[in-house]
Amino acid sequence: MTIEFISEEQREALQEVANIGMGQAGASIAKVLGEFVELSVPQISAVGAAGIPAALAALAGDGIASAVRQAFIGELRGEAIVIFAEHSADDLAALLAYGDALDGPASRELLLDISNVLVGACLGGIAELLRTTIGFSAPSLLADQVASSQLLRADGISARCALLVEVRFGIEKRVFRCHLVMLMPDDAVAALRRALDRFVEEL
Amino acid sequence: MDTAADPGDSCALLASLVERLDVGIFAVDRSGTVALWNSFMAIHSGKSSTDMLGQNLFAMFPELPRPWLEKKLESVFVLGNNAFTLWDLRPYLFRFANNRPITGGLAEMRQNVTFLPLRLSGGEVSLVCGTLFDYTDTAIAQDKLHDAIAALHREKDAQAQLIAKLETAQNQLLQSEKMASIGQLAAGVAHEINNPVGFVNSNLQTLKKYCQQMLQLITVYQGAETHIADVELRREISALTQAMDVDFVQEDLPELIKESEDGLVRIKKIVADLKDFSHVDQTDWQYADLNAGLDATLNVVWNEVKYKATVAKNYGVLPPVECLAAQLNQVFMNLIINAVQALDESKGMGTITLSTGHQDDWVWVEVQDNGLGMSEETRKRLFEPFFTTKPVGKGTGLGMSVSYNIVQKHHGRIEVDSVPGEGTRFRVWVPVKQALTVD
Ligand SMILES: Nc1ncnc2c1ncn2[C@@H]1O[C@H](COP(=O)(O)OP(=O)(O)OP(=O)(O)O)[C@@H](O)[C@H]1O
Ligand SMILES: [Mg+2]
Repeated sequence: MTIEFISEEQREALQEVANIGMGQAGASIAKVLGEFVELSVPQISAVGAAGIPAALAALAGDGIASAVRQAFIGELRGEAIVIFAEHSADDLAALLAYGDALDGPASRELLLDISNVLVGACLGGIAELLRTTIGFSAPSLLADQVASSQLLRADGISARCALLVEVRFGIEKRVFRCHLVMLMPDDAVAALRRALDRFVEEL
Repeated sequence: MDTAADPGDSCALLASLVERLDVGIFAVDRSGTVALWNSFMAIHSGKSSTDMLGQNLFAMFPELPRPWLEKKLESVFVLGNNAFTLWDLRPYLFRFANNRPITGGLAEMRQNVTFLPLRLSGGEVSLVCGTLFDYTDTAIAQDKLHDAIAALHREKDAQAQLIAKLETAQNQLLQSEKMASIGQLAAGVAHEINNPVGFVNSNLQTLKKYCQQMLQLITVYQGAETHIADVELRREISALTQAMDVDFVQEDLPELIKESEDGLVRIKKIVADLKDFSHVDQTDWQYADLNAGLDATLNVVWNEVKYKATVAKNYGVLPPVECLAAQLNQVFMNLIINAVQALDESKGMGTITLSTGHQDDWVWVEVQDNGLGMSEETRKRLFEPFFTTKPVGKGTGLGMSVSYNIVQKHHGRIEVDSVPGEGTRFRVWVPVKQALTVD
């Protein structure tokens, strides 16, 4: 699907905001985790509601994955979803000062904690560049160790389509891998367009 | 009333609000020193704000998960975003007694805590404020809900199992009712045939005696023929003798009677087999000769077998076996019919081998065919009610499941050996005596 709801110029601006935002986010995440985090160049796309589960599954790849969702609220509004491959998040337990024995609740809490840090840093960074403030809901578990095609059910999605910004995270010499996907419903994209226009004008 | 609030007043208002809110509110700086401690926190922790202010949080609460919480606070200071703990993953941060000392439920207050960054002098986050919500009631309600759902699931599973059992039981009941009524019908017919066969037999015996006497008499008369003087009479006798072919009649008559006798013996045997097979008179456990049962069963289904297979018998000496004989015969019948139906007709007559044997406290009865054999899939599903590979009308798929249950009732077992393209061997094992336990 082509990105109909933002202009080419707005798309470029969003790409730039995302690039800068991720750079800053990487630095602050490293401060929290005490390790350098590799972030991919953000990918921007638009998908229809029915395509969202498949898009998430494609990111997660084959196999088992878990996902955490977190809402962001304010002028910019939507949900961020963080997808973890299998148990790769357990790898970060020590960095967030979890004990050695990770039981079920602890490893789920770890997923929420990591998501909260990543989402807060990345989306907070973007919001700041766009000179707007956003708040975050508490994160909650969307899917816990399920087949990647089962992360999200299409019939639960209320938006018609969504703008999707995707970033990959990894840490050198660690198995930890995850994807952060920022999803904005079609009816919230108008606010994003205004914010992007503002950003372009101020350049 | 003056609505323009005095700034001093509004500060006091806020302070009193924070103090009184029914939510735990506290704040720490980057070193963990407590800067705010409202009355909710004081009441539940037993440590007043005077005790707490200026003290290190972790020194005052050594039971806190220090490294983890420090990391969490640090992330709020660094990122300037909220952080959270949720009761369902981490039941509580502070070990507070719950507010149900009487009605009970959970020992500690369940808590959701949100950590908020506070920027007092502009840019940097200088304090992190914790807001602590009591989720005990929610947790108790959720526990109850979980229990209720689990109980529902258990009940649903149990019901599904019960329904499945009922279905099989009903099918088997239908099948065994069918078998029982076939047995009754057979026994009834056998009984009805018995009476005429009885008097035909006794009449035939008398007839046989009379015939012998008559033939004797005729022989004597024939010897006396030459002594007859009347030529006319002699010619008449000779013409009749020739016309009637009396020589042949004399020869044939005993044979006809002999054949009729044989026929009657066979009728009697069939009647006896039918009775034996159905055992309508004996539905209780009894000691029976399984070789005889197998023979009786073979006779009953002989018509199905004789054009398709030759039957080889290989019987061992068996002790009387405590069993429900009619039901075991049903098992043998199912096995024999299955064997016949499995034969490859394109190869001409098949062979069915019936063997029996005795080992320790067990006897076995074996039905072997050189038919098409079974695939792995069929072998696995063989005993399932309604599993059949036969065309509609030919098989209902109940034979083996009913057989299985009958053998089970005898505390026995059925062994299957099958090679696709070569044939199948079923061996039924039953104990000679049933243990005293009644089920
Ligand atoms: N001797 C055998 N050789 C090959 N296949 C067999 C043999 N006995 C049973 N089977 C397979 O097992 C299936 C189930 O047998 P079962 O006696 O329970 O049912 P059925 O013979 O199909 O029908 P029913 O006995 O009710 O008339 C058969 O359809 C057949 O595929
Ligand atoms: Mg059968």
